[in-house]
Amino acid sequence: MTDAALAIEGLSVRYIGRREPALQDVSLEVAPGEIVGVAGRTGAGKSTLALVGGGFIPRVVRAKVDGRVHIGHVDALAATLPELAGKVGIVFSSPALQLSSSKPTVREELAFGLENLAVPRAEMDARIDSVLARLGIGHLAEREPLALSGGEQQRVAIASILVMGTSLLVLDEPTAQLDPAGTADVAALLGELAADGRAVLVAEHAAEVLRMAGECLVLDAGRVVGVGPPGVALGSSIAGRAGLRPPTLVTLAEAAGLPPAAAFDEERIAAALRRGRPTAPPEPTTTDLSVPTVRRAPVEPIEVRDVVHRYANGVEALRGVSLTVAPGEAVAIVGQNGSGKTTMVKHINGLLRPAAGRVSIGGADIAGRSVDAIAGQVGFVFQNPDDQLFHGRVDAEVGFGPRNLRLPADQVAALVEAALSLAGLVAERQTNPYDLGFSTRKLVALASVLAMEPPILVLDEPTTGQDGPGVERVGSIVDSWQAAGRTVIAITHDMEFAARHFGRVVVMRDGQLVLDGPPGEVFASDQTSLLASTGLVPPPAARIAARLRPFAAPADAAALLRLLAAG
Amino acid sequence: MRSRAVGYFRPGASWLHARNPLTKLLGLLWVLLAAFLLPPWALIGLAVGLVSAAWSAGLLGDLVRSLRIPALLFASILVVNAFFYPGAGERLIPIGPVGLSWDGIWFGVVSAGRIVVVFLAAVLFLFSTLPDDLLEGLVARGVNHRLAFVILSAVQLVPRLQTRAAAILDAQQARGLTVTGSLRTRVRAIVPLVGPIVLGSLIDVRERTFALEARAFGALPRRTAYRTVADPPTDRWLRAGLLFAIVAVFVLAFSGVLPR
Repeated sequence: MTDAALAIEGLSVRYIGRREPALQDVSLEVAPGEIVGVAGRTGAGKSTLALVGGGFIPRVVRAKVDGRVHIGHVDALAATLPELAGKVGIVFSSPALQLSSSKPTVREELAFGLENLAVPRAEMDARIDSVLARLGIGHLAEREPLALSGGEQQRVAIASILVMGTSLLVLDEPTAQLDPAGTADVAALLGELAADGRAVLVAEHAAEVLRMAGECLVLDAGRVVGVGPPGVALGSSIAGRAGLRPPTLVTLAEAAGLPPAAAFDEERIAAALRRGRPTAPPEPTTTDLSVPTVRRAPVEPIEVRDVVHRYANGVEALRGVSLTVAPGEAVAIVGQNGSGKTTMVKHINGLLRPAAGRVSIGGADIAGRSVDAIAGQVGFVFQNPDDQLFHGRVDAEVGFGPRNLRLPADQVAALVEAALSLAGLVAERQTNPYDLGFSTRKLVALASVLAMEPPILVLDEPTTGQDGPGVERVGSIVDSWQAAGRTVIAITHDMEFAARHFGRVVVMRDGQLVLDGPPGEVFASDQTSLLASTGLVPPPAARIAARLRPFAAPADAAALLRLLAAG
Repeated sequence: MRSRAVGYFRPGASWLHARNPLTKLLGLLWVLLAAFLLPPWALIGLAVGLVSAAWSAGLLGDLVRSLRIPALLFASILVVNAFFYPGAGERLIPIGPVGLSWDGIWFGVVSAGRIVVVFLAAVLFLFSTLPDDLLEGLVARGVNHRLAFVILSAVQLVPRLQTRAAAILDAQQARGLTVTGSLRTRVRAIVPLVGPIVLGSLIDVRERTFALEARAFGALPRRTAYRTVADPPTDRWLRAGLLFAIVAVFVLAFSGVLPR
């Protein structure tokens, strides 16, 4: 037995009813004051490992488990809740769902765990105040948890675990639903917690979080394929082999010949790139996905003019927004949570109606048309796939939209086939959508809208929860949709995704448009301070480029290296 | 946008808000019994009492607005009874074996009236009671905290479902689902709307279970309470009075002393 906060040895996990194990022969240790990151593709076993580390498997989630798992000195595979309570805490990706959602204030939310541990009432306030102060959220104590921003909620969720005295914190994709400022917030917090002596195990896709780890574990199909410092584990030789796309900074550091320890050091990367003359990577091979061409509906311009929107509680979510989108444009809309992005795009298909101003498509005001009547023209993919999936089979679900358009059966079939192959779901056509993971369900929801062959495609955070290859897939869909002359509008928190796949980036802040232009200009160094005022930072390659010389911001590592090679 | 945390609770500092949740729960029970056991004319008194209570607690506006939701139900109870009341004596407008009758109208008005009164009382209870206070009040009375939590979840279920239902309606309409128009269209829209609510709720339950487990809910046989729910002497007297009133309703209803 060691002094590790979490010690896992030879762990194998197989869920009941599954033939393939979710994890095989995994060993790791997390010592106090240490952060261990877990990377891997969707379905590689990251969440399963988090659930074991958090004491949820096999106690809460049934599974067949072999190996040894110790949380502190407690045998986690045999432990009961009272034995584990207060020793380990687990944080999930959806902050709203892990708060008790019945508490009127943050203070009482934190008190909930203390009540369950039968902490005397007289001790509660002191413990709550000390944790809130340590996490820098003392000012939120009397606020309502569900009215907070995503980043604040995730801090509260972490606080609600820490207040119970937890020395081991396990996080399962804690930033999946956060905007860039929220993600940076959580990453910084994990660093502070480790400095404070807590042990942290974090399963993530976001490089901003994984770089905080002392050691990263890379999983592929349930097996550990590599362990090392983030600069090594996330590099091309380990993460690349596990099917992941190495983070941009790591790719640049490798190209510049830097040691792994400097993999996230932007200053050293820039300096090394300035000195050396890195070789240019080959031009990207265009992934040629074929889009459906059954309906061939005309692509028309969108005009949003002086739109104001007020919610029932009086909050003015849009304060005079004007945006014209020409046919065939690809527009990314970025900005912090609550800046009005979703509210604005919901006006394009009539889900929301302006209090003032007008929205027209093809020159005609849409005010008199119902949402379902606009659906053939504007395809809208929501953030949460579970708001729309109801069929028992993926192909039936994907056929729902085209059937609503009352197309003949052979056309519906052709559209379903095209959409399934675009979204990479051909092999899953007979699967029940709810047997698929969240990120695949999101692709099903996307396919179900692509099957309507909308000339205007609106996506609300399409890359949330997707791993590297998943993001690539969504990106290729955007590219091919636009290549077919159709319009794409997407809300995204992923600046690199915006820069790589969209010809135009629109930045929103407090219900207004503050920047609008090609990504090379919006993310260029002279806009950095304006961007920062919206809680955004340019994508990594643009940040490095800004240190080298002021040219148009490149979208990703490959683009930057090509610029440098060209001189 | 109404927040889900507090369910239907409308914050306030009125005498009604200040009552112990159990006192209000007992009051709700009394109104329910009185509305169904006492003769119809008592409904007028109950309705007047509830409306004045809402007015003095500053909740009248909210209460009136809340009546929009079940208005269709009340109307249908009235109409169905007015036309289809069995064994009706004289038919004002005979339509085959059924027809509009005075007996039917009277029965319809009384049935709808009873439900309106109970609905008003229930809504007033939800508006003036913080769900968490109800939970602590029940636990303080010896109710098992798991059971109390189930009751609390039930109280909060409807507003949660409303939020979700609105999102689902949006998502399906955006895929071209028509939800207005002919009866056939509306019936066809049921599965795409209800399906995600049911399936989504199952996922929701799993995640909520995770959330509670992560916070050691139910780890120990006993728990402490952060909130202290006020229980002033007034409330104890009120509860004694309400218990007496409940007994009185039974006595009056079954002794036959009241005119029907």
